[in-house]
Amino acid sequence: MTDDVLTAGPGAPRPTAGPVAPAPGAGTWRLTWSGLRTVAVLELRQRVRSTRWIIVLLLWGGLLGVLTALIHYATHQAFAGITDTNTDEQTRQAGATTFGLVVFLVLALGALVAPALSATSINGDRSAGVLATLQTTLLSPAEIALGKLTAAWITALALLAVALPFIGWAYLDGGTPAGRLAVVLALLAVMLLVVCAIGLGWSAVTARTTSSAVLTYLSVTFLGLGLPVLFGLLIPLSQQSERVTTRQMVEIPSATTAPAATDSSTPPPMQCQTQTETIVTTHTERIWWVLAPNPAVVIADAAPMPAGSDHSDVLSSLRSGVRELRLGEPSIRDWCYTDDAESRRREAARQAERERLGATWPYGLAGDLALGACFFVLTVRRLRAPARKLARGTRVA
Amino acid sequence: MTQTGPPGEVAPGTATSGIVAHGVRRTFGDVVAVDHLDLEAPAGQVTALVGPNGSGKTTLLLVLATLLVPDAGTVRVAGHDPVADPVAVRARTGWMPDVFGTWATLTCREVLATVADAYRLPRPAARSRITDLLTLVHLADLADRPTQVLSRGQQQRLGLARALVHDPDVLLLDEPASGLDPRSRIELRGVVRNLAAAGKAVLVSSHVLAELDEMVDRAVVVNHGRTVSVETLSDAATAPRTWTLRALDQAALLAALAALGIDHGTPDRDGVPVAIRSDAAAAELLTALVRDGVPVVECRPAGGVLEQAYLALTENRR
Repeated sequence: MTDDVLTAGPGAPRPTAGPVAPAPGAGTWRLTWSGLRTVAVLELRQRVRSTRWIIVLLLWGGLLGVLTALIHYATHQAFAGITDTNTDEQTRQAGATTFGLVVFLVLALGALVAPALSATSINGDRSAGVLATLQTTLLSPAEIALGKLTAAWITALALLAVALPFIGWAYLDGGTPAGRLAVVLALLAVMLLVVCAIGLGWSAVTARTTSSAVLTYLSVTFLGLGLPVLFGLLIPLSQQSERVTTRQMVEIPSATTAPAATDSSTPPPMQCQTQTETIVTTHTERIWWVLAPNPAVVIADAAPMPAGSDHSDVLSSLRSGVRELRLGEPSIRDWCYTDDAESRRREAARQAERERLGATWPYGLAGDLALGACFFVLTVRRLRAPARKLARGTRVA
Repeated sequence: MTQTGPPGEVAPGTATSGIVAHGVRRTFGDVVAVDHLDLEAPAGQVTALVGPNGSGKTTLLLVLATLLVPDAGTVRVAGHDPVADPVAVRARTGWMPDVFGTWATLTCREVLATVADAYRLPRPAARSRITDLLTLVHLADLADRPTQVLSRGQQQRLGLARALVHDPDVLLLDEPASGLDPRSRIELRGVVRNLAAAGKAVLVSSHVLAELDEMVDRAVVVNHGRTVSVETLSDAATAPRTWTLRALDQAALLAALAALGIDHGTPDRDGVPVAIRSDAAAAELLTALVRDGVPVVECRPAGGVLEQAYLALTENRR
């Protein structure tokens, strides 16, 4: 009996003779469905059993519910104050605004929670002495890394699923096209994946779990808040004095100095005048790309515009704002703000130019995905065994 | 057992050539963990790796287990180079680490099933093998309990089962006896001997030298990251070593030894230490003492074979 167990017979599972004939050099990047599933199931099983995930999901849902209700109420109150638009238009705008705000809320809270899902994944296993257990099996580094990433992402998607009713509520508020809902949900999922990949990468690089958690939060904060701040700080660097054409109101120089003109009750007659002068110009078209990878910018820019002419909701405003920055300042600065044919023509031309620029989000999304991919590759490289170098303070086993 | 045939059907040592390591060196920064180690662990034998703390045992095992690249030296595990072809080595090697971490929330059965999946074993065959292994290490009762309720010794036993899941040809056991109760130690000895009898190469590192005496065929003594001696335990019977003699009347014993012209060490409460060439010489001396009417109650080697060799070779501790 004992011997039977120790030495399995010909029919017994023997990897040497079984389906596995490990090819030499078949290493780091080998990916199989069964290997991926093994790691992902292991991770998810542990997550489900060790954390009080029901409580976490309830808290997450409760918080989102309360904040969504407050946003809903506040937005509708604000739009009810505007009386010069008709009620249908009002409801639509309120709905679109609510939707945008709830999406940003989910994004912000997700950015707070998602790092915790993967940021201790690898160094935590290392210090628990279970990472080497996997590394010495036939699982490839890529399978271990992707399995862990998948498990973290599935957990993040569970949070997104709990948020779904609240996003749905905002959607049903009206004013949001279905395409916008779909795009926004897809991009939220992608952003969570990127955050999980960043956390995984840091957990592979650092020895201590606290270090990787802090670095992951810093990375996410950099994307969300750091990039807009950096953009602001770069503005002075993009400025230079240039001779440009301006249009501004000037007093009509009149030969007949009527005494009535000095009277303060009647303003002097003004006219719009074109002139050339040297002023400081801000070249946001040179630094707009700093904003592009910001998750809020990506989502706002990719979301299809609602029907109608008025695009003043949160997502649309952010979208046109960033595209405006990308265009830079117009060649003719019109400070007259007159509503004449000439200015309308210029405004239409600029809008056409802005549309010709195309979308900003492909650049930002590509940047984010590249960042996540870099962290993933880093993770896989760190999981390679046998190891030549060890990070300071890390144990192998 | 449907999947297991009689042990005799296993082709002995076809792909197995055990462990061969020559001139292995591994440093961590300016710390030389392994300086120059030579080691051979042939198939069908149990080889002990003994040495003081910090002598490089665990580092060597990590090299053999495909986790560390050596700075120098040649290594073959089951006929493959762990650096050039780690996958082939992993498929044939079972490694039981010194600190056995475990997925705390998984049950014993799930732990082994996960490892079986990770070795890509077919599911149905793996399932029955896992049941057998759990019986082997006496964890069948606890098979469906989470591993966090296991004691340290039980976790060690699960670690042994885990190393055996894929029926490896080479076993690397790092301190397998630590935390085990006396019964489990004796059972571990039986399991290890059976593995060797089935043609596996088993390498055991341990501090518990008395345990190893009864378990191993060969011992590689390392100190300061170097191989200082390779002992074959069957040789030990013909090697000189210290024996302890104890008699009811110590004075009579000392007088008889003096009469026989045999030198001895300082007598103490335990008895009189005497250097004896071989087992045969010991039997001869004992016969002479009894014939002379000395009331001898005890005649035993002072410490195990390994212990003596070990103490002689590792006097300068790190």
